[in-house]
Amino acid sequence: MSATITADSHAAAHHGDHGHGHGKKGIMHYLWNTDHKVIAMQFLFTSILYVIIGGAMALAMRWQLAFPGHPIPVIGHLLPSTIVSDDGSLIPGGYNMLVTMHGTLLVFFVAMPILIGVFGNFLIPLKIGAGDMAFPTLNEISYWLFSISGVIMLASLFVPGGAPGTGWTAYAPLSSFAKYNGTPIGQTLWCVSLFINGLSSLTGAVNYITTVITMRSPGMSMFRMPLPVWAIFLTAILLILAIPVLSAAAALIIFDLNFGTTFYKPEGGGQPLLWQHLFWFFGHPEVYILILPAMGFASEILAVFSRKPVFGYKAMVYAMIVIGVLGFIVWGHHMYVSGMNLTLSAAFGVSTMVIAVPSAIKTFNWMGTIWRGNIHYTVPMAFAVAFVSMFVIGGLSGIFMAATPIDLFVHHTYFIVAHFHYVLFGGSIFSVFAAIYFWFPKMSGRMFNDTLGWIHFWMTFVFFNLTFFPMHNLGLSGMMRRIADPTVYDCLRQVQPLNVVCTIGAMGLGLSTLPFLANMFWSIFKGPKAPANPWNSTTLEWTVSHPIPHGNFVTTPTVHHGPYEYSVPGLEKDYLPQNEKAPAHVTLEAH
Amino acid sequence: MSNAAFNDASLFHAPQEESHAHDSHHAPPTDPKICKLGMIVFLCSEALLFSGLISAYLVCRQAAGCWPPNLGDGIELPPMPKLLTGINTVILVASSFVYHFAEEAVKKGKSGAGWMLAAALMGATFVGVQCVEWTELYHEGLWFNKGGVYGSSFFTLTGFHGAHVCIGVLLILWCFYLQVTKRFFTAERHVALMNVGLYWHFVDVVWVFLYTILYLI
Repeated sequence: MSATITADSHAAAHHGDHGHGHGKKGIMHYLWNTDHKVIAMQFLFTSILYVIIGGAMALAMRWQLAFPGHPIPVIGHLLPSTIVSDDGSLIPGGYNMLVTMHGTLLVFFVAMPILIGVFGNFLIPLKIGAGDMAFPTLNEISYWLFSISGVIMLASLFVPGGAPGTGWTAYAPLSSFAKYNGTPIGQTLWCVSLFINGLSSLTGAVNYITTVITMRSPGMSMFRMPLPVWAIFLTAILLILAIPVLSAAAALIIFDLNFGTTFYKPEGGGQPLLWQHLFWFFGHPEVYILILPAMGFASEILAVFSRKPVFGYKAMVYAMIVIGVLGFIVWGHHMYVSGMNLTLSAAFGVSTMVIAVPSAIKTFNWMGTIWRGNIHYTVPMAFAVAFVSMFVIGGLSGIFMAATPIDLFVHHTYFIVAHFHYVLFGGSIFSVFAAIYFWFPKMSGRMFNDTLGWIHFWMTFVFFNLTFFPMHNLGLSGMMRRIADPTVYDCLRQVQPLNVVCTIGAMGLGLSTLPFLANMFWSIFKGPKAPANPWNSTTLEWTVSHPIPHGNFVTTPTVHHGPYEYSVPGLEKDYLPQNEKAPAHVTLEAH
Repeated sequence: MSNAAFNDASLFHAPQEESHAHDSHHAPPTDPKICKLGMIVFLCSEALLFSGLISAYLVCRQAAGCWPPNLGDGIELPPMPKLLTGINTVILVASSFVYHFAEEAVKKGKSGAGWMLAAALMGATFVGVQCVEWTELYHEGLWFNKGGVYGSSFFTLTGFHGAHVCIGVLLILWCFYLQVTKRFFTAERHVALMNVGLYWHFVDVVWVFLYTILYLI
């Protein structure tokens, strides 16, 4: 089977059809459009909106932790009365609401849609030589389900009782008893929102899997696919298997809260711990849903700017498959303190540590990729290298926590907060920045401003570490998660200066987005026009020039070899695009 | 063929003039194999949804010790009506075969509308009998919020499944309507019919599992 949609077939379909079917003008072009590239932009701009909201919430929390009880500057008066008191300072319950909304927004409405919704949509058809997704309309529906779920999530801030304060993990029975959480409406909206968001992820995942399996252009075998496509393909499989379990669990919370069922209530024979099992059965694969695409982008960007093939391409693919499979049998490591049987927790500990093996394979392959390469120092390369180093820090602290005895000590402290911000921000988001800079010329047809890009990189890198590294120390000093005021604990007063350091870092991190946003929005309209292939890259998306027509390729491209043929001996230029045949005297990599 | 029609198909700049490039209504029809694969992937996620619900039920049941659980308030919880639902199960499973006959008829170039209607009616009968059963259990003191997790899980699981059956019945009726009014499905082209069939078979298979764990064991 090969792709049947090309720019030509679209044109042919339109030729005898001038009477109706007019293209949409102006704003409608962006509101309802089945072109995968436009849908990717819809996801991108919506997510940028959510990252601003979720980031502002994080800054409010950091302000409270550094200067407890002081009115929050600027955003203090924007927050509803369930969160701040009259003078604009946080109230403890409101702090919990911010924790919950920050976590939920950044995971479900920023990281997932950017990694999967934006780059999955933009890259998959372009990289495999297809004209569009397998189901373009379903794709647009997926975007709108995502948008609606976001509105519902934010609406929970303004209902009676306010937003849920149960954390993004929403542990039962706190989340399933109205009398415990005090926010039955907010909690219900949270569940409804995640249910709809899950539908959006599922429709997207159905699209990605089907497209990758059936729409590859001639010659594009699975092992000739670029690594970002592999990563998003495997991520989509994880989505299909993990998201429905969260939807089921969230539905049960809705029923417990509103219809009097007793799934999580002990007095009716229910099991509060059941939520943790269901949630983490979803939640741990979710961690890999958030990191696999990031790994895929980084692999490609490191290869392009080292002018070398990805070291161990097949090992990279198999490592991702192994990570995906193991991700489903390690969820218990989130629950060591739940009173779990110690033999079981040892088993979960071992299976968790086994994941270090494929992760290390990937890390060493990244190092092998740039080793003795002809490295080009560009902004995307800087972010990709930063991704690898930050991922290593976050990954290593993860191995600490896989060991039950250590986890019992650090669980529910800021050590955990440091860990998952290193993998989620230092990992996923750094890779997202790398990917945005790398594919920006293809998305907008223009180049970004390099100076602003470097300012953004250094600010992000420095302030990220300033914010999150001290949290390791805070956690080991005993500072608990989800406390609104550390100064009320005698034992934490001596480490309060570290909290101030974290907050200064967080503010710098907030400021660091300004050069980024300015760069993006300025360059979209005023940046210098980008050539079709500014990075001299080999994959198919760089063979089409801007503006890319609906249908992408004028004729379906034929693929002759693997994706990363850089610095091939015997070739004049140092790269060989996938759709160009190698001259007879040149030998390529095995795949 | 000129490609000029696409020059305004930029991502960030709204088209300045009328363009025919953004309208997908006239895109070539999607390959049936692609549609089938998409449906199968979607049904995998549905399977995981039911797996989540069923494992929640099994965890609660395992923890309760005896089933129906002893809630300590002296109220005897009613047993599940095995026989009536057994007959209902046979009807639902049979409807899968009936639907299959509809597909076979269409593949041979016949209408198959009669088989479709029969399958829809059998599905509707299943939902009707489930409603009767729900009413009876309600009068025996079992409901979402009565009878502890015994009632909660029974009504939630059968409710989720019942909603799926209702959607299936509507989809089959929609196929029937298209076939009767427009003769929509032909031997060459019957993608939607095939996908509704996959969904319907899936819903039936789920019910066999639910009947086993909720009623029989």
